[in-house]
Amino acid sequence: MNPSPIAQEYLETGFSLGCPIVDMHGHVGPFYGCYLPSSPLDRMRQRLKRCGVRRIVCSHHSALACDVERGNALMKEVVASYPQEFLAYWVINPHYPEITARDLKSFDRLRGFVGLKFWPDYHLVPVNSPKYAPALEFADAHGLLVLVHTFGESPFDAPGLLAEVAERYPSARFLMGHSGYGEWEKSVAIARDLANVYLDLTSVVQAIDFSQMPGGSLMPAAPSLSPHVNGLIEYMVETAGSRKVVFGSDLPWYSQHYHAGAVLFARISDDQRHDILHRNAERLLGTHLDESMKDEE
Amino acid sequence: MNELEFFDCNCAFGPYRTRVFRFARTASELIEEMDFANISRALVYHTAMRYDHPSVGNELLSAQIADQPRLLATWALLPSQTGEQPPMEVLLNQMRRRQVRALWLFPDDHRYFLDEITWGDQLAVYAERRIPVFVRASLDKVAGLLKSFADLVVVTGSQGSNPLDRYAWPLVEKFPNLIFETSGYLVDGGIEEFCKRYSASRLIFGSGLPENSSGAAMLALARAEISDAERRAIACDNLCRLLAEARLE
Repeated sequence: MNPSPIAQEYLETGFSLGCPIVDMHGHVGPFYGCYLPSSPLDRMRQRLKRCGVRRIVCSHHSALACDVERGNALMKEVVASYPQEFLAYWVINPHYPEITARDLKSFDRLRGFVGLKFWPDYHLVPVNSPKYAPALEFADAHGLLVLVHTFGESPFDAPGLLAEVAERYPSARFLMGHSGYGEWEKSVAIARDLANVYLDLTSVVQAIDFSQMPGGSLMPAAPSLSPHVNGLIEYMVETAGSRKVVFGSDLPWYSQHYHAGAVLFARISDDQRHDILHRNAERLLGTHLDESMKDEE
Repeated sequence: MNELEFFDCNCAFGPYRTRVFRFARTASELIEEMDFANISRALVYHTAMRYDHPSVGNELLSAQIADQPRLLATWALLPSQTGEQPPMEVLLNQMRRRQVRALWLFPDDHRYFLDEITWGDQLAVYAERRIPVFVRASLDKVAGLLKSFADLVVVTGSQGSNPLDRYAWPLVEKFPNLIFETSGYLVDGGIEEFCKRYSASRLIFGSGLPENSSGAAMLALARAEISDAERRAIACDNLCRLLAEARLE
């Protein structure tokens, strides 16, 4: 039996007051490519409460997948309406440099937006392309968080490409979305070696078997590496340290209890669980979390 | 919650040729993993059944779990035409002797079609005997199999980088003998929605160990927003019922 009191608390009640979750990778809205039962906002809020999630940092599906202006505007509304639950990333679509330039000029005035979100695999622009440079320069100048979707062996956002960018912009803080799925050793080494790169657990704790996918548009190519993920959290903690791993779930995509369970039932210490489930995120979010806590009070 | 019994329908032990960060090399190591994750029993396969050869792995599995009452055997099947497995009557006798009440098909690993041409001589027999057949294949291939063998009790997963309900639910509605195991069914609220629309009787608990974490799968079901009766059914009772219905005699 897992002796962790935190794990037992989640098992008994579904959450932990002493070890809450700060989810660094979520989304809002329905998604064109699949049915997401928890995507209605009220339903999503209820799910957050059920898992004891203190905050979730989201980007809007519409901004990522279709209309960057409309989607970011919708995300602003959600953050304004529910600051006690939601923080957000501003989505950058590198195909619209004039929109990016305009948005970055007013970024400082946004409330509840903690950084930028890049989706290179789906916008089909490599993260090290000059097209991302204005946003990266801005993030570097302001010490922003940048959540970058990464995927093993991708020509657009493989971990090696992110490392190149992270070295070029040392004051920006990069969350390696999905931890460069499949290229585990490389991703973990990058997070170990670069102070400004963090591993994100979103979707990392589930083995993706591409042979079971009937297919569809914009599916990433299957990495040639082993998809087995049991024990990966232990490897991340041993190699990069528990302070370099943040919790994410992709909610409303994936179960937060499943993702939390992977952390709670990993062979790591409760102190390391605290780092992953909330402490690292609290440190990264800093005043953003404090400000939204004031709203709560 | 502590009284809830978890019976895992999909987990494996044995070595791998690629790096797997944490896995159970032996049956006793698997028991340790199960204990850590609150799982009391498991329907298991040996990695040799999948990656060495079914004739090697089936025998290894049965031998290695013989003294482990918490582990129940599955065997992997091959098409009969190549003569790599015993004839049907011999195989059924062996299954009866070793109490093998469920079977696996790994069509992508073992490279065969999932169709009537390939399986006409075998699967109708398993359908008639209500022996559940676990299938690791994409849902379009599973759909093809079910079109040929609608009476076959087919258990499959839903692993993929995107939730697959747009593929899966039409099959659930069309084929009453299709069962989903939960190891890859991670879409948030998916179990809840499935129970509401269909029935908890069509879901069985699977961890996918060691591809996935068994503790994660256990916690997700333990905290799902379903009734306690539905939770018990998915966690254990449905699999018990499926295995009890399998006729080996």
